Amino acid sequence: MKQFFKLFKVAFQAINKNRSRSLLTMLGIIIGVAAVIMTISAGEGASKQVRDQISGLGSNLLMIRTKTEHRGGVNVRMGRPLDKRDYEILRKNSVWMPQISPLVGIGGQVIGPDGNKSSTVYGVSSAYFNILNRDIALGKTFTDEDVKTANKVCVIGETIHEELFSGRDPIGSKIRVNKVPLMVVGLLKAQGQGVMGQDQDDIIIAPYTTIQNRLFGGTEYNMIMASATSENTIDDAKFEATILLREAHKLLPDQEDDFEITTQLEIQEISGSVMNILTILLGAIGSISLIVGGVGIMNIMLVSVTERTREIGARLAIGARESDILTQFLIEAITLSLVGGVIGIILGIIGNQVVYKLTKFSIPTSVSSILIGFGFSVFIGVAFGYFPAKKAAKLNPIDALRYE
Amino acid sequence: MPRKKVIETKKLSRVFKNGDIEVHALTDIDLVIEEGEFVAIMGSSGSGKSTLLHLIGCLDRPTSGEYDLDGVRVNTLNKNELADIRNQKIGFIFQSYNLLSRTTALENVELPLVYDRTGKFSNYKELAKKALEQVGLADRIYHKTNELSGGQQQRVAIARALVNNPALILADEPTGNLDTKNSIDIADLFVKLNNEGKTIIIITHEEEIAQFAKRMIYLRDGRILTDETIKNRSTKESVLKNLEVAF
Repeated sequence: MKQFFKLFKVAFQAINKNRSRSLLTMLGIIIGVAAVIMTISAGEGASKQVRDQISGLGSNLLMIRTKTEHRGGVNVRMGRPLDKRDYEILRKNSVWMPQISPLVGIGGQVIGPDGNKSSTVYGVSSAYFNILNRDIALGKTFTDEDVKTANKVCVIGETIHEELFSGRDPIGSKIRVNKVPLMVVGLLKAQGQGVMGQDQDDIIIAPYTTIQNRLFGGTEYNMIMASATSENTIDDAKFEATILLREAHKLLPDQEDDFEITTQLEIQEISGSVMNILTILLGAIGSISLIVGGVGIMNIMLVSVTERTREIGARLAIGARESDILTQFLIEAITLSLVGGVIGIILGIIGNQVVYKLTKFSIPTSVSSILIGFGFSVFIGVAFGYFPAKKAAKLNPIDALRYE
Repeated sequence: MPRKKVIETKKLSRVFKNGDIEVHALTDIDLVIEEGEFVAIMGSSGSGKSTLLHLIGCLDRPTSGEYDLDGVRVNTLNKNELADIRNQKIGFIFQSYNLLSRTTALENVELPLVYDRTGKFSNYKELAKKALEQVGLADRIYHKTNELSGGQQQRVAIARALVNNPALILADEPTGNLDTKNSIDIADLFVKLNNEGKTIIIITHEEEIAQFAKRMIYLRDGRILTDETIKNRSTKESVLKNLEVAF
């Protein structure tokens, strides 16, 4: 034990005497650990953000569309378009879908008091706000009465608010969509980017009747949105909608559905597999930085032990045992790896914060990234400090002394 | 009363095998060196003097023969025991000093004590200081090796060889990297240490340095050619005087 403490002192002396080499060794480990922490954290942060946004949409969402098929490079609508008849049947007969809204979308130039912008106007019923969990920041939503009378009112998103009103109170003011004036009654709470990167606040929502009767003239819906009573009844809701619509479309038992029902759970599954690919990709990048960092550590450790072969020879000649040399080099390698690893963790966490400050892309430093980065780098550091030292300590002192 | 034998070898031989070729580096060396002797081993390169030094210094094991060092039969010891013997009984001095770089003289001299397992030394610093005083470096204790001249570095190496009071001081071409003036100073230091009772063996190919010793062994082709007492030993003064005449 006393011998161990003496060797401890020798090891620290050696680290101190060779400051630049010690710093270089640590630098390899610091960069390795910090890089791994940042890449793994970025990957986990991205998938967490996507997952949060998808579940934020409401996991009991159903989307009913007319069936389309991909033919000759274009999407061809296969069945009867959805319209008011389908909506009324679902609304009147459904047990599992308390909230139902049609959706018609129309793109156009929107003009406000302080600017204009090309955007999309969605026509929906007042149930839409409940289905998609969108809250009002200012004013109110439009009412069923507004829908019934095709009132020229709308609710706008934060992006429209910024660009058309320069952030001023928009309630009661008018915007014009394709020359039709709509009065702003409500402002949506900002939601930020969507799953696919689209701006969920670049949106104008009006009664679907208003869109169809005053702006658009059509009778078809792009889709019908609904929410099931809960996440658990979503399959019942889907089944119910299928029965009701098949009946409404007078489909024979041997005919296929001429509509498609997508549930939020299915979307989650799809995006889940996309996220898995992203995670694998980032994992691969992380592994590469681990390997690059590892090779760096390996390199400096090998060089430093080789460089010190004569020193090892001198120590052996004046009576150091093989185990004394090994212990000393192991203490040196462990110390450098641990100190470098801890600095690397700190730098990685700081790096994540810097990225957050610069991009607003939140990267929570994950514990697993710290463990993986730290563990691997320290392992490499110790292993490649130990094995060359073992080889050198096994040398005949005469050969070690002659080593050039 | 007969003096204690520090070294006693019987038919010591060392054969190097290089593929099918056998090289007989040393053959049947019988050698006795007693306490207080100052021996110079000479010979041309390939004469086996380095091999003999390695065997005497317990850095290598003989192919055959017996070797007692300070009363210990060393030719049968294992690697760790040899390391301990080197630590306790031998002080090494090398041609290229082999000091730790960027490290103070004091820390270098302390090094053999670090590897001591007998536990008989306690105050490393005091012992190291004393050793440095013995070699005339009392005022350079905290100088780092790279701040010292060649002659001074070799003195540090000598202090390191002295610090744990070994039975034998073994120097391999100690003046090989030094100029004449420093070589003479180092040789003179060996004489001084020998006068204080140290047993010293130096290996050298410089006749001038060998003449400082009391006994000269000349090796050729792995055998002892001559082994005689030096009658007219050099001293620092006599050599310096000759140098002046030469210039």
